Amino acid sequence: MLVRVLPSVLVASIGLGTLWHATDRGQAFTSEAARRLDAVRAPRPVPALQLEDMSSQLVPLLPQGDEVVLVEFIYTVCGDICQVAAADFATIRDQLEVRGVPVRMISVSFDPERDTPEQMAIYGEAHEADGNMWTVARPMSEDLPLLLELFDVTVIPDEWGGFQHNAAIHVIDGDGRFSAVFDTDAIDAVLAHLEERNS
Amino acid sequence: MKLLGLALLAAAEAVALRYAVIESPIRHVLVQMPLLVLAGVLLVWNRQIRHDLAVPLLFVALTVFLFWMLPRNVDWALTLPGETVKYLSLPLMLGVPLRLSWPWLGPILRGFLKANALSMLGVLGFLYTHAPIRICNSYLLSAQQDLGTAFLYLGAGLACLWAIPILFGNSCSRRSNSTGYASCGV
Amino acid sequence: MSAVSELVADKSNATEPQAGAVKLTMILSGAVFALMMVFGLIMRAAQGQWIEVDPALFYQLLTAHGAGMVGTAALSGAAIMWYFCGRHIVLTAGIFWAFLALFLLGVALILSSIFIGGYGGAWTFLYPLPAISGGAWEAGAAAAFLLGYVSIGVGFLLYYLELGRQIHARYGSLVRALGWNLILGREDKNPPPPTIVAAAAVTIFNSIGIILGAAVLVASLVHLLVPGFEVNALLAKNLIYFFGHVFINASIYMAVTAVYEILPEYTGKPWKSNRLFAIAWNAVLIFVMAVYWHHLLQDVVMPPWMLVVGQLVSYFSGIPLIAVTAFSTFLYVRGSKMTWDLTSSLLVLSVAGWSVGSIPASIDGMISVNKVMHNTMWVPGHFHTYLLLGEVAMAFGFMAWLVRGKTIAQMSGLDRVAFVTYLAGAAGFVTVFLFSGAASIPRRWAVHYEEWLPHDRIGTLFSVLIVLATLAFVLRFVLRLDRSNR
Repeated sequence: MLVRVLPSVLVASIGLGTLWHATDRGQAFTSEAARRLDAVRAPRPVPALQLEDMSSQLVPLLPQGDEVVLVEFIYTVCGDICQVAAADFATIRDQLEVRGVPVRMISVSFDPERDTPEQMAIYGEAHEADGNMWTVARPMSEDLPLLLELFDVTVIPDEWGGFQHNAAIHVIDGDGRFSAVFDTDAIDAVLAHLEERNS
Repeated sequence: MKLLGLALLAAAEAVALRYAVIESPIRHVLVQMPLLVLAGVLLVWNRQIRHDLAVPLLFVALTVFLFWMLPRNVDWALTLPGETVKYLSLPLMLGVPLRLSWPWLGPILRGFLKANALSMLGVLGFLYTHAPIRICNSYLLSAQQDLGTAFLYLGAGLACLWAIPILFGNSCSRRSNSTGYASCGV
Repeated sequence: MSAVSELVADKSNATEPQAGAVKLTMILSGAVFALMMVFGLIMRAAQGQWIEVDPALFYQLLTAHGAGMVGTAALSGAAIMWYFCGRHIVLTAGIFWAFLALFLLGVALILSSIFIGGYGGAWTFLYPLPAISGGAWEAGAAAAFLLGYVSIGVGFLLYYLELGRQIHARYGSLVRALGWNLILGREDKNPPPPTIVAAAAVTIFNSIGIILGAAVLVASLVHLLVPGFEVNALLAKNLIYFFGHVFINASIYMAVTAVYEILPEYTGKPWKSNRLFAIAWNAVLIFVMAVYWHHLLQDVVMPPWMLVVGQLVSYFSGIPLIAVTAFSTFLYVRGSKMTWDLTSSLLVLSVAGWSVGSIPASIDGMISVNKVMHNTMWVPGHFHTYLLLGEVAMAFGFMAWLVRGKTIAQMSGLDRVAFVTYLAGAAGFVTVFLFSGAASIPRRWAVHYEEWLPHDRIGTLFSVLIVLATLAFVLRFVLRLDRSNR
């Protein structure tokens, strides 16, 4: 009897184990959840890239001194989620300014062809990103694939000449590692995360 | 020989869709993947195995099936390593074991698996048509909703396909011999 | 073997397969019925302010009472139908045991989710309520409750798969078992007996109900575990009420086989399938699935045609039932010199109660009435009528028959007291509910206003009678089983 059911039990256990492993212990069913989990578990070193901001100045992507960098990926003519996300980003900036947390925030364009400094400046003005704490910037075209792969950002063209992408707030910690991802509207969670890091 | 040819045809058909699946999750999940499974099924259409291997093989097939049902793996299947695993695992570890074990499965177990398939298609249709988030990063929200609708149509279609013989009768169920091995495949 | 000889056969000659499993199931059903009635009694007494019950506990009791009663009605109905189908087809005992084991696993999960986890989201688990408890219970408790349903659903799926398979094997197709040859006037040398017609219809509609129910259960579970995955709430409500309506109706449609199979022993006339009977059951098959919209009459976003269909089908769904089962029962009973023992009394009562219960149901199914009555005691009034005086009476009648022995004798004094107590208690209890509904007293409220207390207190007194009679029925069953086994 035991010999007869043993192979089935064995295969079923291996199968369940595989699925358990394939979902990061039942925690991540989508690739978005998987990348968020992975960034926390195994923070990824970010290379020292330079971005071009809305006043055509070069700015470093990596944190300088003891600051933390928050990155979100956008394209300036985005009609829906980026607009909402930018409003939330502004709220975070205001909150952090009040609390005096050393943070730099960058809205990085993944459409550097179209998003010229002038175009980015229009976007920045519309959302009150004045370039002090929060700026809008674009990578060099040759750096873009590397950047998207590092942050696991998938950009696909939509039906109306724009893009859909997995929008989120990405944290580059003081050690220059990409180490956390938050929903664009998870303002409280971002603030709590930064305060905890700061204290 | 004829079956081998058909299996190769199904596999070739699936590979030919390689670029088409990038844009459309329906072509990916409901055309290419089933074609790969079909290739495996045809490969061993007339093979028989020992009775005691049926259940372990069924578990292999179920594991692989569930693995590819995970949205994250649909994304992964568009990368090179994921694509390779997809081309190998779907025919060899889902189509083949499913076909080999199926004739040995009792009618209750078959009915149970079919009923579960219908429920799960309902769940998928339910989630994919209404989830406010994008479940697969590689596909547009509108494509995801189309996929959900397609799941629902598929569920309804399968329900009719499976219910009609029971409702109106067919000769298939009579043709199982005393060993419990049913000669009728579907 | 012709249907006639099967039906009038002496009981000792009839095959009684798996009687042990069925008897065990009926003991469990009787015990749970009694326990759930006590929960009901506690709720009525708490509403009447005779005892103090914390509102959180009240809603847990309400949830347990709803889930427990629906589940037990279905369990007892399933056992009855399995038993009588065994007279016409060969059923695998292992499937019934697996069904019972999965059912009990589900009960354990449900009870622990309610009384350990504090789940109090009612038996209808209306989306998204299980996920937004306001701190009353954790997501895990709601998940355990839903998993309990899934386990019970899987058990029922196995049950219907076996039933469908064996009916298919014996009759070639389910439509023949549904009596289509009778309807179409074709010759059929081996027409399906009433029990098989009922079993075929229930197998079809309850399998559909379970498959759709499983879909909404799993979607709700996914939502509990991964809140990002949301579900369209209106679609979820439609699916839940489709499943819930079909499932609770199935319990009565299964239990009624006891009437078809047992009453002929008393009337001496076999209950045969005829054309009208087959048409009625085919109509039931459609109506039971099309009528659930009357649960959504207050959802203004529903397409109006669905609500109209809900109202119309509510009227019509009573007709096949009353025209065929109740009317035939009346004819059978009237023309014969029946001996009124506990079994026959309860079974005839059950048909009457079921039919009467459909009247307040049809009234509530009217859109204009529903707008003011749906959230009042009228609704528990109507479903308690056809459950307490219908399904549960069928189950008790079946239990009494199981331990009756071969001779049919007039009711003893004790049986008469128990029967009259049950009848009086149940009739009074549901009448109070209906009166309360007519007086606009809301349902599902843990705490009642002063003016409503007389209703609640009278209701409490009647429910004491029901509990006493139920205890008598169940104890009588267990004692006689013991005696007949010795």
